[in-house]
Amino acid sequence: MSPTALIAQSEYVRRVRSPWFIATTLLTPALAVAVFAIPFLTVSLGGGDAPQTVAILDGTGALADSVAAALPASYTAHETGAELGALREAVLAGQLGGYLVLAPGVLDGTAQARYFSRGSGLEEMAVLGEAVREAVRDERVRRAGASPAVVALLDARVGLEQVSVSEDGDAADGALVQLLVANVLAFLIYIAVLLYGAMVMRGVIEEKSNRIVEVIASSVRPFELLMGKVLGIGAVGLTQLVGWGVLMAAGAAALGPLLLALAPAAAIPAAGAAAGAAAGAADLPIDPAALSAAFAPGLLAAFVAYFCGGYLLFAAVFAAIGSAVDQESDAQTLQVPVMLPIVVPMLFLPAVLSQPDTPLSVFLSLFPVSSPVLMVVRMSVTDVPAWQVAASLALLAGAFVGMIWVAARVYRVGILMTGKKATFADLWRWVRTA
Amino acid sequence: MAPVLRLENVTKRYGGTVAVDGVSFTAEPGRLVGLLGPNGAGKTSTIRMVTAITTPDTGRVTLGGETVGPATQRRMGYLPEERGLYRKLRVGEQLVYLARLKGMTKTDAVAAVKRWLDRFDASAWWGRRTEELSKGMQQKVQFVATVVHEPDLVVLDEPFSGLDPINADVLEAVIGDLRAAGRTVVFASHRMESVEALCDDVVMMAKGRVVLAGPLREVKRRYGRDTVSVAWSGPDAWLDALVGPTGDGADSTANGSAEASAAASGVRVLRRSAGQATLRLDAGTPPRRVLDAALAGADDVDRFDVHEPPLDEIFRLAVGEA
Repeated sequence: MSPTALIAQSEYVRRVRSPWFIATTLLTPALAVAVFAIPFLTVSLGGGDAPQTVAILDGTGALADSVAAALPASYTAHETGAELGALREAVLAGQLGGYLVLAPGVLDGTAQARYFSRGSGLEEMAVLGEAVREAVRDERVRRAGASPAVVALLDARVGLEQVSVSEDGDAADGALVQLLVANVLAFLIYIAVLLYGAMVMRGVIEEKSNRIVEVIASSVRPFELLMGKVLGIGAVGLTQLVGWGVLMAAGAAALGPLLLALAPAAAIPAAGAAAGAAAGAADLPIDPAALSAAFAPGLLAAFVAYFCGGYLLFAAVFAAIGSAVDQESDAQTLQVPVMLPIVVPMLFLPAVLSQPDTPLSVFLSLFPVSSPVLMVVRMSVTDVPAWQVAASLALLAGAFVGMIWVAARVYRVGILMTGKKATFADLWRWVRTA
Repeated sequence: MAPVLRLENVTKRYGGTVAVDGVSFTAEPGRLVGLLGPNGAGKTSTIRMVTAITTPDTGRVTLGGETVGPATQRRMGYLPEERGLYRKLRVGEQLVYLARLKGMTKTDAVAAVKRWLDRFDASAWWGRRTEELSKGMQQKVQFVATVVHEPDLVVLDEPFSGLDPINADVLEAVIGDLRAAGRTVVFASHRMESVEALCDDVVMMAKGRVVLAGPLREVKRRYGRDTVSVAWSGPDAWLDALVGPTGDGADSTANGSAEASAAASGVRVLRRSAGQATLRLDAGTPPRRVLDAALAGADDVDRFDVHEPPLDEIFRLAVGEA
């Protein structure tokens, strides 16, 4: 067995059997499921809508009844003629949830409806706003002399179903699912690079502060030690991701029907909150066909490839940083130049999600530092030409070779340096002279 | 027979500092070579080139005629001054791993580790975490890691530092066995007296250069039998009178007054403690001048011995000459 393989094997075995690894592998999916499941359960089990009393001060004389009728059952609305001051007192005293003031100008669009309360959640504002809009529209239509048939037509909902077209066939309802998948995959790569990169760094610092590194360096080349460590820990990361994938799939298979049974479709809130823009339009439960289409084999293969590429690119740098310090707390300042390129691409995530085919998005998905996260995002939401994927992977591989070359030069000097805290100037000197 | 280690005009710079400056010496199989010098003399820098951890800027290091590198590393065992093991690993797994990094197969490594742990009465440690062991036990484990792959060349940097007397005896015995088995042993230390008791050859370094090298007996003979050790009971005023006014009578540390007295009387104190002293005689000073003074001034003289200067004195002289 080559030294690199031997070191990788030892690094891998040591970590995979540790309680830390077993615990995080088992608990993370449980945590992820909990994050998604808890909002479902709290709403569907009736934690959500507290009864709310709303007084309506109707200056138009035509809207109060229809607003009251448009509000959900958990709202008790009544028209009032009370003074504003008295209503305010009632709200402050807790006798009244809030009061809605509908000025006469609301009907012709010259005034706004105003709602006074101790403070309202987003959902409450949306519910009230929708009720007022509906009542005003109906009244405007009625005054314009439209027949009830026209009103009924206006009330009829128009949906827009998104259908993703790809070589593998068309999948309905794909957009939301794709956004969800894109986010999950992007965050997984981002977190994995940070998590396992930092693990490499800690491993290097441990060997250095233990002084075992000098014994190892008298047995194998520093480059072999560096590569063995990077590859071994990379395999740990891959094992963990696969473990998570399997557990999540098993969990989804077991828990999915249970959640759907508990949660009537209408009551499901913005479970896709992680999907940002998609949240409001959440049209769950997800069509299983759309879900499996979103996790196309090609995308999963690309995910693994970009996880490996992104990890390798940054792990080498983390190792170099670890080699330059004696203890973890000294590594903070040196970590900045490696953290920035990991974090900054995440800032472009919303832009790439909403416009995956702009030149900027294409560039970011080709550029080696940002490609691991953003190409996977693009691939989840749009059909990326194969040449772009190939070019992006080739650039990533090239960047890795360059990075490990630089990192190895820093590493082989750094691991034998003790006492002095290295600066960027030192690191640069090591790269040039090593 | 193990191959010869040879350094030829080896130089190593770190930035603007010359850590090792034109060093040449040879270590023969079956001999224990002491690499001596104070901290900062370039011993560790030299050792790192011998163990192929670093490469010389100029010059050559060869083992059996082959320039040192990955191939020779497998035939070397290195015990660094700063000891270190993986703290969380179990002793057996750790040693097998380190042995396999030296190119042993898993089966051979397991057998060799068991054999060596047996030899140190440490078989019971196989399954224990390294961090649970006492410091002395960890040092034994580390020593096993150094020799488990039966290296031709064993390089020990300050091997006795931190060892208790019992473990030091065990280590000394094992080093003796390695020498008897025809291995080449290089042993670096700044504590001259520990080297003196063990080494066949010495290489003395100061400021990156070799100031003196050769077989220990020859080196000592070169400096002549001009040193006396004397032990007495009773007052020690006679010694102060002997070495003259610069002698520091209050100093009772082991070697604190080594440079204290440049004696008008032709006698200098190398070491001094209560009722004991080692004195260096300048050329032309007969040893009996010390004996006469002691007999006259002390209650009794328990021991009087004329011998070669101790290594640390030879080192001082060599640095002065260099």
